Amino acid sequence: MKHILKSIFSLFFLFSLFFANAQRKEAPKPKIKDTVTVNTVPAKTVVVKKDTVIKTDTIIAPVKTDRYGLRLGIDLFKLSRSFYDKDYKGLELVGDYRWSKKYYIAAEVGNENKTTDDARLNFTTKGSYIRVGFDYNGYENWLDMENIISIGMRYGFSTFNQQLNNYKIYNTNQYFGEIPPVTSGQKYNGLTASWIEVVAGMKAKVFNNVFMGFSLRFNRLITNKQPNNFENLYIPGFNRTYNGDFGVGFNYTVTYFVPLYKKKVKPAEEVKKTPKK
Amino acid sequence: MKKTILLLLILSFSFSGCEKDDICDANTVTTSRLVVTFYDYNNSSVEKSVSNLTIIADGMEEGITYNGSTLINGSTVAIPLQTTAETTTFRFIRNFGSTNPAALPNEDIITFNYTTENVYVSRACGFKTNFALDPITPFVQTDAATPDLLWMQLIAVRNYSIANENETHLEIYF
Repeated sequence: MKHILKSIFSLFFLFSLFFANAQRKEAPKPKIKDTVTVNTVPAKTVVVKKDTVIKTDTIIAPVKTDRYGLRLGIDLFKLSRSFYDKDYKGLELVGDYRWSKKYYIAAEVGNENKTTDDARLNFTTKGSYIRVGFDYNGYENWLDMENIISIGMRYGFSTFNQQLNNYKIYNTNQYFGEIPPVTSGQKYNGLTASWIEVVAGMKAKVFNNVFMGFSLRFNRLITNKQPNNFENLYIPGFNRTYNGDFGVGFNYTVTYFVPLYKKKVKPAEEVKKTPKK
Repeated sequence: MKKTILLLLILSFSFSGCEKDDICDANTVTTSRLVVTFYDYNNSSVEKSVSNLTIIADGMEEGITYNGSTLINGSTVAIPLQTTAETTTFRFIRNFGSTNPAALPNEDIITFNYTTENVYVSRACGFKTNFALDPITPFVQTDAATPDLLWMQLIAVRNYSIANENETHLEIYF
């Protein structure tokens, strides 16, 4: 488990490096645009000095618009796992709403029914959860691209119940031999938990308004209503718990973007940027 | 700026400790045994060592192992109780296998009456069983099938609750 975690971490850090790179690519971008217009403009007016071309560039720059709207979808991992894993039934709906150029209000709602079969315990967790928060898109799109490489946070809340199916008694003394698992069936109702997540994700437009994306999540419990004489070893939406209130998660989503309105990207922004470099 | 704050946040999250929880730590208190201490009947404050004591549970062939041996020499022994029953009977045979006429084997039978409670420990350890000796008749002492007089003069319960092995639960004076 430790190794898996380690690899997730390193993957995540690798991922965070991409952010830095994505940001740096900002600078050369206007340059490329310039060359594009330089190529097209002279085709119309052949005898124009280079200085004036650059000036007109800022004036006739194509009006860039950002689309704002609602993106709705589903977590494919939970959906597919429900088919191949007989101990798992789960569904997660995801959605986000573009609040500003860079910020998205994001939420996920889901339901899970999972039977965990550990070496010494077997229990079933059933419950629903909601996660609400925001995503910050750190990726500077070219032209009309709408890809997202984001980092964000969520507040998660889950309400669930646990049923202890069977367990083993730990006894270092084997004089009476290995004792078969004790069948319990004890149900623990009305359990709740809440947590904070840090989310790193990306979404790519595959065609029209359809996006594919994935996200990695690092969770930390804030509240956890534990059952009496048992423990919340699995929390819907949070996943497996570890000793230090810590958890990880991920999802793999397909979403559909419902455009609601468009906003022009202020040309002033571009003027500002050009003198920089 | 915002990004650096977020990155720092992630860092603090990721270093917030992942502890190993797949293996049950040997130091974890799990199902405990009944700890018996032997005392001198004539001088009740002094612990007295038993010699070649063998303790065999009802229906078992072998005696219990304590400190790697089924022959117990010393003033303390820890006895496992059955977690699946509420009574366990042991044959306490002193001077086991001895042919010395001065120290012939002597067998006493003790039946322990108790209730069990299974308590959750952790994901790796599962549950443990805590025992509580019956407050009215915690044990019944009888002589062997072939009577050879009782070698235990007095038995006293020190602790009715058996949840760890750090304390004596039963005192036997002989």
